[in-house]
Amino acid sequence: MKEPVRKTKHPYIVGACVAAIAGFYFYLVADKTKFPEPGENLVYDIKKFEDVDNVATRYKEGKPIVPTVDGPKAMEIDGAGNLFVGGKGAIAVYDASGAETSRIAVDGAATCLEFTPDGRLLVGLEDRVAVLGADHKTMATWSGFAERTLITSIAANAEEVFLADAANRCVLRVDYDGKVLNEIGKADEARDIPGLEVPSPYFDMAFDDEGSLWVVNPGKLGLERYRSNGDIVTSWYRPSLELDGFSGCCNPTHIAFNSAGRLVTCEKGLVRVKIYEVTAGSFEELVVGSKSFKVAQSVSDMVVDASDRVLVLDSRQKAVRIFEPEAPAVAKAVP
Amino acid sequence: MSERKKLDRRDFMRGAAAVAFTGATWAAVGEKTETKYWQLDPAKCTQCGRCTTHCVLTPSAVKCLNQFDICGYCDLCFGYLQPGSRNLDTGAENQLCPTAAIERKYIEAPYYEYKIHEDKCIGCAKCVKACLVFGNGSFYLQIRQDICINCNECSIAKSCPSDCFSEVPESNPYMFLTGDTHLAHPPA
Repeated sequence: MKEPVRKTKHPYIVGACVAAIAGFYFYLVADKTKFPEPGENLVYDIKKFEDVDNVATRYKEGKPIVPTVDGPKAMEIDGAGNLFVGGKGAIAVYDASGAETSRIAVDGAATCLEFTPDGRLLVGLEDRVAVLGADHKTMATWSGFAERTLITSIAANAEEVFLADAANRCVLRVDYDGKVLNEIGKADEARDIPGLEVPSPYFDMAFDDEGSLWVVNPGKLGLERYRSNGDIVTSWYRPSLELDGFSGCCNPTHIAFNSAGRLVTCEKGLVRVKIYEVTAGSFEELVVGSKSFKVAQSVSDMVVDASDRVLVLDSRQKAVRIFEPEAPAVAKAVP
Repeated sequence: MSERKKLDRRDFMRGAAAVAFTGATWAAVGEKTETKYWQLDPAKCTQCGRCTTHCVLTPSAVKCLNQFDICGYCDLCFGYLQPGSRNLDTGAENQLCPTAAIERKYIEAPYYEYKIHEDKCIGCAKCVKACLVFGNGSFYLQIRQDICINCNECSIAKSCPSDCFSEVPESNPYMFLTGDTHLAHPPA
């Protein structure tokens, strides 16, 4: 006897269900393209900003120094060419060959260093300053400047000391007893002072070869020259994404002068080290461009030695990177 | 007729031990089964833009936050303004955000506060990248747990090129940004 075959009455319904299940499976699992990739309107492209410093430079990178101090943050060079690198609780000293020769203990985290003309070492320790003698022993500590202080730079001449206070957005002029004589850089319409804008803890200053004090106004992306009494002498600002300007919200982060009296600047974000003629604020040349650094990084400090080598304390690599000029700079007429 | 057994000291101790064991087991298992939520680590994020397009929700459950104690309150804010903006103002042509989700509010000269309107934010991270590269890096992305439907397998996590998504415990569902807070606010 022939066995009866069981047949469905609606085979097309079963077929449709199977197809639907298979389609749903492929939609969920197999189809990798169900989400569109973000288009150019949803992505911030920084390559075009990095490419502006694809220019020739006469500076070549040499062998770096890897400081052994914890949290290296500050650098300075003494009259004999020794490099001092300050960090948490210590300052390490390196000779010209890069070998560590000594170590100085400090009470706190060194944020900036400066040598006085008579050889004393001033150490910025966030909200106070330690004065070390030639034997590296602490002679005095200056403190109590304000309720909230962050000293990011020190400049000293024979008579007085200037402290860049990033938290109070001003420069404190103090005597050699640590007593505040006056504040520089607070907004004052009557004296035509625009006011220092400091949006981040990067606030530097330096003396030029004539002894004039140049202070970075980072929020305005430029420099201002001040007298000791707080009068502003001159200023220039270069907000621009081009190579001759300073990019970002607050730059340059560090400045120094080379032996020719030219201003060396360092920027954060897209790290660029450049040279300017300081009086006119005219761009002269690139030392090193953003391709040599990670994106969105800052450097901890920058100094220029007597041979015009530019030393950059790279916070990502935790190394002092040294950029040495290969050929003498081409002389440019000062406008 | 059955005789009712008297509860002796040994029986009482056995019962107490059983209750203690059950309690300890429940507590141990209970800890392990705490609800987990997807979250992204801002330290690993590369601002690729996929949080906008790869979330199952529209708009995405990923939103931008501003960590005010890191923000510089800059007038020239790269997270708010298009690069090379002619004017530092709230004109639509000057704004970087594709949905105008950032509000610029004057505080005092020359400082401005930048507030994210999360209902408009699509999590594209353009402002995050710009602020990170050119500013203090106070903008960052987070999955808003009150919006997220907590898929078993997060579709953004699956496609994230920097592998910055992970499951976090219910008791600590956000990864807040940490940074330098020395310059917390503009001077009063």
